[in-house]
Amino acid sequence: MTGKTTGYVSIMLVTAILGVMLAVQFRVVNRVQAGVSTDRAKEIVDELNQIDLEKESLHHEISDLNDKLAQVNQGQSEAVKALESELEKVRLSAGLVAATGPGVEVVLDNPEGGKGNGVFIIYAEDLLKVVNELLGSGAEAISINGQRITDTTEIRMAGSFININTKRVMPPFQILAIGDPDALANALELPGGVGDYLRSMGIVITVKKHQELTVPAFVGN
Amino acid sequence: MWWGILLAVLGLLIGILIGFNIPVFLPQDYAKYLSVAALAALDSVFGGMRAALEDKFNHGIFVSGFFSNALLAAGLTLVGDRLGIDLYLAAVVAFGVRLFQNLAIIRRYILNHKIK
Repeated sequence: MTGKTTGYVSIMLVTAILGVMLAVQFRVVNRVQAGVSTDRAKEIVDELNQIDLEKESLHHEISDLNDKLAQVNQGQSEAVKALESELEKVRLSAGLVAATGPGVEVVLDNPEGGKGNGVFIIYAEDLLKVVNELLGSGAEAISINGQRITDTTEIRMAGSFININTKRVMPPFQILAIGDPDALANALELPGGVGDYLRSMGIVITVKKHQELTVPAFVGN
Repeated sequence: MWWGILLAVLGLLIGILIGFNIPVFLPQDYAKYLSVAALAALDSVFGGMRAALEDKFNHGIFVSGFFSNALLAAGLTLVGDRLGIDLYLAAVVAFGVRLFQNLAIIRRYILNHKIK
C-alpha cells in the first residue's frame, strides 16, 4: 500500500511538473508569436553585427578620405602659392609691375651746343644699342624716361622725335636698368664699346650705379 | 490503477494552473530546450501509464526516466545548437515515435479490457 501511495505521489508530482512545463511553454510560444521569432531575431542580430562592422570600416574610410582631402588641400594651397609666385615673376618680366633693386642709371643727352636748335643727334638706334647692351649683360628691367621696355615696346624715330611705347620721349634720356650695377656699368664702359661709340658721336653719356632704384611699371599704350 | 490515472490528470491540471500563474517568465532562448524537454516528459508519462496498465509500474524507473529523458532531450538540443546541427530533431523523432507506440499499446490494452 505504501509503495502504491508513493507511486501515486510520484505520478502526481511528475505530471504536475509536466503540466508546469507545458503551460510555461505555451505561454512562451504565445508570446513569441506575438513578437518576433527566435530565428528572425538571430537573423536581425547577425545583420546588426555585420552593419556594425561595415560602419566601422566606413568610419575608417572617412578618416582616410579626410586625410587625403587635407593632403590635397595642402597641396592645392602650395600649388596656388607656387602659381602666385610664378605669376609675380611673369608680371615682373612682362613689366606689369614696378621693379625695385640695385642697378644703373644711364643718362644720354645732346651736347651743349646742340641743345635748343632743334637738331637731335641722338637716334633711336643709339637708345636701342644701349638697351641691347644692358639686356645682354643681365638687366632684368629697363625703362627710358619712365617708359618700361617690354616685349612689345618699340623704340623708333617718328619724324624727328623718338617714340617709345608710342609715347614721345625727349632728351635727356634717362635709362634705368635693374641688375648687377658693376656688370651693367662695365658693359657700357667697355673700351671700344657702346659708351665710347656714343661719346664719339658727340653724345653726353653718364653712368651712375645705384644700390636701390625703381623701374616703373608698363602703363600701356 | 484508475486512481493513478485520476491522480495523474489532477497533477497535470495543478501543474498547468501553476504554470499559467507563476510570475517568472522563461527567456525565448530557452523555449526550444523546454519544448523538447516537455516532449520527452510527455513520453515518460505515457510510458508510465502504459507500465501501470501492464502492472509493471515502478515509480523509481518512472521518475528517473522522466527526468533523465527531459534532461537528455534538452541537453541534445543545446549540443546541437553549439554544433550547428538540429540535434533536437533526433529527440523529437525518437520521443514522438515512442509516444505513438505507447499510446497504441494503451489503446489496445483498454480496448481489450473493455471487451472482456
